[in-house]
Amino acid sequence: MSEPALGLTMLALIVVVIMMGFPTAFTLMGLGMFFGFFALYDPSQPWTQNHIFDLMVQRTYGAMTNDTLISIPLFVLMGYVMERGALVDKMFYSVQLAFRRVPASLAVATLIICTFWGIASGLVGAVVVLMGVIAFNPMLKAGYDVRLASGVITAGGTLGILIPPSVMIIVYAAVAGQSVVKLYASAMFPGFFLSFLYLIYIIGWALINPKIAPPLPESATTVPVPEWVPKFQQAYSRNMLYSLFAAVAAPAKALKIEAGGIRIGYGMLLKNLTAALFPLALTAVTFWGIWWYVVIHPQASVDHDTPVAAVVHKSPAAPAAASKPQARVDEKPRELGIGETTPSTSSTKSEGLEELGTPELLKEGPAAPAEAGPAPEFYIWFWISAAVTALLLAYYYWKLEAEQFEVLKLLSSSTMPLGILTIVVLAVILFGITTATESAAVGAAGAFLLAIQAKTLNWQRVKESVFLTAKTTAMVCWLFVGSALFSAVFALLGGQQLVEQWVLGFHLTPVQFMILSQAIIFVLGWPLEWTEIIVIFVPIFLPLLHHFNIDPILWGTLVFVNLQAAFLSPPVAMSAFYLKGVAPKHVTLNQIFAGMMPYMLVVILCMIIMYLWPGMTLWLPNYLYGG
Amino acid sequence: MRVQRFLLVVDSISTWCGKAFSWLIILLTVGVCVEVFKRYILNAPTAWSFDADYMTYGVLFMMCGAYTLAQDGHVRGDFLYSSMRPRTQAALDLVLYLIFFLPGITALSYAGWDFAHASWVIREHVNDTADGPPLYHFKAIIPIAGTFVLLQGLAEIIRCVICLKTGEWPERLKDAEEIDVVEEQLAHSEYVDEESRQRAIEQAHSIDEAARQRGLGDRAEAATARGEPKGDRK
Repeated sequence: MSEPALGLTMLALIVVVIMMGFPTAFTLMGLGMFFGFFALYDPSQPWTQNHIFDLMVQRTYGAMTNDTLISIPLFVLMGYVMERGALVDKMFYSVQLAFRRVPASLAVATLIICTFWGIASGLVGAVVVLMGVIAFNPMLKAGYDVRLASGVITAGGTLGILIPPSVMIIVYAAVAGQSVVKLYASAMFPGFFLSFLYLIYIIGWALINPKIAPPLPESATTVPVPEWVPKFQQAYSRNMLYSLFAAVAAPAKALKIEAGGIRIGYGMLLKNLTAALFPLALTAVTFWGIWWYVVIHPQASVDHDTPVAAVVHKSPAAPAAASKPQARVDEKPRELGIGETTPSTSSTKSEGLEELGTPELLKEGPAAPAEAGPAPEFYIWFWISAAVTALLLAYYYWKLEAEQFEVLKLLSSSTMPLGILTIVVLAVILFGITTATESAAVGAAGAFLLAIQAKTLNWQRVKESVFLTAKTTAMVCWLFVGSALFSAVFALLGGQQLVEQWVLGFHLTPVQFMILSQAIIFVLGWPLEWTEIIVIFVPIFLPLLHHFNIDPILWGTLVFVNLQAAFLSPPVAMSAFYLKGVAPKHVTLNQIFAGMMPYMLVVILCMIIMYLWPGMTLWLPNYLYGG
Repeated sequence: MRVQRFLLVVDSISTWCGKAFSWLIILLTVGVCVEVFKRYILNAPTAWSFDADYMTYGVLFMMCGAYTLAQDGHVRGDFLYSSMRPRTQAALDLVLYLIFFLPGITALSYAGWDFAHASWVIREHVNDTADGPPLYHFKAIIPIAGTFVLLQGLAEIIRCVICLKTGEWPERLKDAEEIDVVEEQLAHSEYVDEESRQRAIEQAHSIDEAARQRGLGDRAEAATARGEPKGDRK
């Protein structure tokens, strides 16, 4: 048998053996070793000196020193700790109250919690079961259509594997030799866009046909207001913000109020005022962050780098300069697990804007600051959006009465900590301030702090999170070891080349190739988990992208979204079976599947939009890290 | 009975060792955080910190391989597998362990020994940076982890044989599972009623099992059926 034929046999065998259900990591290792043994067989040497053994250990060592995979255990730990630390039922309750006037409010709240939860965790099963208990039964009791209720939970539950920081994206980055931060940036908008499309679909359907989501009974929408609040309002004013300010300034009247056994103290007033000012602070910080990143940050790094560059000329041993080579070493692409993919020099370039700036600045000198400033349109848009937000905030505070205030307090105690941590982690990665590994570690530490603050952390949970992290990491990384060997041998045998020639022989247009590759991945998504698809099958497509001039980042992001659709397609979607497990008996599997179908179509619509308008995917990475 | 004892001992060794090494994740988190603080705030980066980080990570996942195997945590294409009868599963597994697992992992341990030995003899250090940290201990992890996985693999083979004889899988050691989060989230929930809470907590594991089988085969039915009376009794 010729070598390329051996390669194809190998590919066919792997599909068969995976379906037999043997742990995939060892299947890949075993197959790779046998085929490699024959490929590298050299009669002049004893069989124990076969080079396959060297290749095997080199590949293993490559996975052990892979600088992309290193962030997996950190992100996984962050997810497990958050998942145990955040109180999801409290989050659901407060979000549901906040959206109580929106049509299909329970479904909207479910979707929002699933999106949030997706940021924290990548587990489909646990999310669906939890939301099934917390949200499904209330929705059915409120008279919601079974299909609407089941669809939103199953579709929302699978969002977790897409929305950054997700492990799937790190694994793709390692396989494709792309930068993790770029992929995070590109998956950002499609992830939230998909969630937004779901939202439009739910609200739109509920507006057209209000019967599917009847408004909630009065009892479910009344916000519990503590007794002191109405008295407090009487003493000062209906507007809570005004009265809180007044009370802090002149607390005499407030301190006299006594209701339900609670006496108002000065500390309590301050605490409530802080809670009331929370939205304002959040908006201010966001806008300041954007301003800092776009206007101050480039100039600061210019100012900072120019003297450093001068120092470098004079004495290379200067302490400030010492940090630069160090940073370089860190980013230096280590040996990739999968050799034949493009080398990941892009990650070196993209990890930080500051580093990018240095070499050019050396040449250009003082002319640089003028070019570093943002485009003039930025200022217009910045001030317009700031003004609009300020108006909205003013209106919000104008209308801030007792009920709204209680909702705000609930939200800020349940949802905000998780939200702020994830936004900070993502912002730090995306703005290129630290590397993905560093922000993952900070995120994991932050998750611990949050859980301690929420008093949900105990020794048992810490232990569980650590052990689960170890198991998940070992699973993904051993799979990577196996596939690194497998794909090296596959390429060595010429199987990769044969596939390439074969596909090129069809003379497909890029669009046809795109559709074909996504369709294959979609079908593979039925029986297989994302780990196997990304690690075994994606590498086969990657070298072909170059021939068709397709950006691996865009293609990868489409794969991530595509897997959403695959995991929602009947009759194989696991989430449907998870939901069936917690649903009341009268809900049939077919009803759940029927509920999922429209969401699958929404995902496909999202993919079409992403393809027609690649800017949505590529704008953010290009803006942040340059083309 | 002695076979059972062997299984238990091997399982405990792998699990204990894996759990011990899994605490490296905390070390890794703290290490990277300290380095972030030193580099970005104090502007005093450490030259060897990146080497220390990937070594921690490498040791972590390699040494947890056997633990994951002992807990059946390595991903399988379980679409068809999970709906088969235990005997069929065991027969398939046994064959594949013998033809793929044993040669593959033996080769890894053997080749890893050579690899580590060569490094150990010259007392290899990291050469990306001047005065790099020693590397030979780290390389020695490959044969060590390989041996642990091999040992656990032997236990798995024995499991298959027992299952072929009795028609049932021998039990595994109890350990944290992903689906446990359902219980943790719901145990103190204020907004979900007592009955559905209890039912979900008790059935979480059988729901997980049934979903993995995707409703195929009779075991799925059995799992749901097993779950129901439990819920009613409460």
